[in-house]
Amino acid sequence: MAATMRSISRRDEMSLAEPAALPVAASVAPRLHVLKRFSSRFKTSLPAYLLLLPSLIFLALFTYGAMGRVFIDALYQRATPKAPVRFVGLDNINAVLADPAFIGAVVNNLIYAVGTAIPSIGLALLFALALSRTHAVNSALRAALFLPVLIPMVAASSLFLFIFLPNVGLLDHYIGRLLPVLPNWLGDPDIALYAIMVITIWKNAGYYMLFFLAGLQAVPEDVMEAAHLDGAGPYPRFRHIILPELKPTFLFVIVVATLNAVTQVDHVFVMTKGGPSNSTNLVLFYIYQQAVEHYDIGKASAATLLTLAALMGLTALSFRTMANREGGP
Amino acid sequence: MLFTRRLMLGLAMAGSMAGALAVPAMAEGPTEIDLFFPVPVDGKLARDMGTLIKEFNETHPAIKATAVYTGSYDDTLIKTRASIKAGKPPAAVIMSANFLLDMQIENELTNLDPLIAADGTTKDQFLGQFFPALQGNAVINRSVYGVPFHNSTPLLYINADKAKEAGLDPNKPPQTWAELTDWAKKLTKRDGDKVTQWGIAIPCAYDYCGWMMETLTMSNGGRYYNEEFGGEVYYDTPSMLGALTWWNDLVTKHKVHAPGATPGPAVSTSFISGNAAMMMLSTGSLTYVRDNAKFNYKVAFIPRNVRNAVPIGGASLIVPAGLEADKQKAAWTLIKWMTSPEKSGWWSRATGYFAPNMAAYKTPEMVDFLNKNPDAKTAVEQLDVAKPWFATYKTVPVRKTLEDEVMLVLNGKKQPKEALVAAQKAADETLKPYNAETSLKLP
Repeated sequence: MAATMRSISRRDEMSLAEPAALPVAASVAPRLHVLKRFSSRFKTSLPAYLLLLPSLIFLALFTYGAMGRVFIDALYQRATPKAPVRFVGLDNINAVLADPAFIGAVVNNLIYAVGTAIPSIGLALLFALALSRTHAVNSALRAALFLPVLIPMVAASSLFLFIFLPNVGLLDHYIGRLLPVLPNWLGDPDIALYAIMVITIWKNAGYYMLFFLAGLQAVPEDVMEAAHLDGAGPYPRFRHIILPELKPTFLFVIVVATLNAVTQVDHVFVMTKGGPSNSTNLVLFYIYQQAVEHYDIGKASAATLLTLAALMGLTALSFRTMANREGGP
Repeated sequence: MLFTRRLMLGLAMAGSMAGALAVPAMAEGPTEIDLFFPVPVDGKLARDMGTLIKEFNETHPAIKATAVYTGSYDDTLIKTRASIKAGKPPAAVIMSANFLLDMQIENELTNLDPLIAADGTTKDQFLGQFFPALQGNAVINRSVYGVPFHNSTPLLYINADKAKEAGLDPNKPPQTWAELTDWAKKLTKRDGDKVTQWGIAIPCAYDYCGWMMETLTMSNGGRYYNEEFGGEVYYDTPSMLGALTWWNDLVTKHKVHAPGATPGPAVSTSFISGNAAMMMLSTGSLTYVRDNAKFNYKVAFIPRNVRNAVPIGGASLIVPAGLEADKQKAAWTLIKWMTSPEKSGWWSRATGYFAPNMAAYKTPEMVDFLNKNPDAKTAVEQLDVAKPWFATYKTVPVRKTLEDEVMLVLNGKKQPKEALVAAQKAADETLKPYNAETSLKLP
């Protein structure tokens, strides 16, 4: 019964949370035909392109230009400080892959990604389910849970720096009575990464909650009612109606959470600088270290390329999965 | 058709507007220069810098200086390097004193010797204005590359009330490591296994940790790095082993120092809140302690094991390479003005750093200030035993190799000896390219 409901609802309703419905080509047209169509289309849309031109120029200058530059820089290196830069091919990429600090940063980043994405998505879903009905109390609670999203990461990190202060911080003030030995939250390599992860979860759960709230609006009311009349309890309703309906939202939020895990390192920068002993070093911070502290643009560019490739691969994969799901039965 | 004509018109208009804007810039006027400045301690400094530059512009109509806030010391280095690469370097930068050597190796600094000679003074006369301890970080290969602007040394801060409580005389602060260990033991309070008050706190975060290791190593007779040549550090040495072992003993053997790595702000907060009875911290924190401590405190020299010696810290004014002659001259005027006795003293009183210009301490305002705040004198007196701050090829990564290992030791994950061997190996690896083109480039 649940299966039929699911298929009906998918055809009829589109999830609000689904960010971009990628059009899937129905059939492949002959090449000539495509070209012709393309040129005629181009003619009619010329004014549009001209209007877009200023943005395109800036996009090319500041986004794609920079990426192209990274690609070129990744291929050059100096042998000694006074030597001129020379073409070294893939040497920089090999050097990055052989660097234990980079491998360490990748491992940290994986732990960080999994350890922040799962709890924050879980919490976000829980919040969304609890607050899905709109009334005054829930609106206030939603606002409260969304508040961390509005605080800039740098400001939040500076606040948490004081919360985590050993012995005198807010956390130790309350937890200190319970623990025999107070942990040095940011100064112990075994704990620091988890302390950083707590901030990310606190910060992002409210953001992901928004997507789930939007997703929940798309769950058809009549199906829920029917299930209710058929005597389905809260758990079966959640398991067989709500969760399947939220699948596209889940996919999208997972992609966003993973991207955030790689691109948001403000708190690492403010709180630990990757320390102690590289235990909170993440990939983006490693790139910063190569570029700024080591002044090694070649290696920094190579690490950037590797990260970009991984991120683009991941994004392409998840959106393809999403498109497949939407297109297939 | 209409659309394109309109577009052309728009483009033409935009072009003429751009042209109109460009004209005034070419007209005669004061030489415009930028000064990059970091704020390493707290936000108030940015306002003080604004006041200083405003006064400079009012007294120097031919120059229009703009102070550009550039973040931390590290950020300032990034932004300076980025603007040098872009071909538009700032005319002057307040640069962390231990970055100068690395920048000079990368050909990013202007040699100031010709500017000094053009003033009709000699190098010795010019450098003679500043405390001798500061010259090591400003002079490279006998040429001047930086002018000391604000400087610091590490100090021992003591909570005098707690010392009295423990039966210690705060007017006779500990002078040796043995005495300090003894004080720390007496000042540690325990409640069963739990420590409610630590005897001493020493900061260890990137940047601070290396500076404290240099402090302890120097007090133990060591050198940390080769002051004459940027390709060598002395990590795996008896003097540094003794320093790190003592620090580790404070944590694990005597249990008077909190385990783990504690950053500078955490240490000062801990001291202010009474959670740590003593701390080793920069003179740069003196103003903060003076303003916030609700108890009597004392500052003292860093105690010795072998000799009294400390490194300097702080920043110098530099002129980046690749600047037009008129901007270079204007920058030089600004630098001389900012490091003059009056301005140097004013900046010192505003920030808590000491004034590098010795004559600053002869100005009436400064004499007055020191009479009111005798604790500010200790930092200046300690300058007699101060030595340069470590500076090598790739200073930051070379320093970090040591810091990562020290953090492991303080967290009980490594023994001092194996940590120092590992640090030395990693540092040598980082220094290799520089040695390959200097000390190991043989005929």
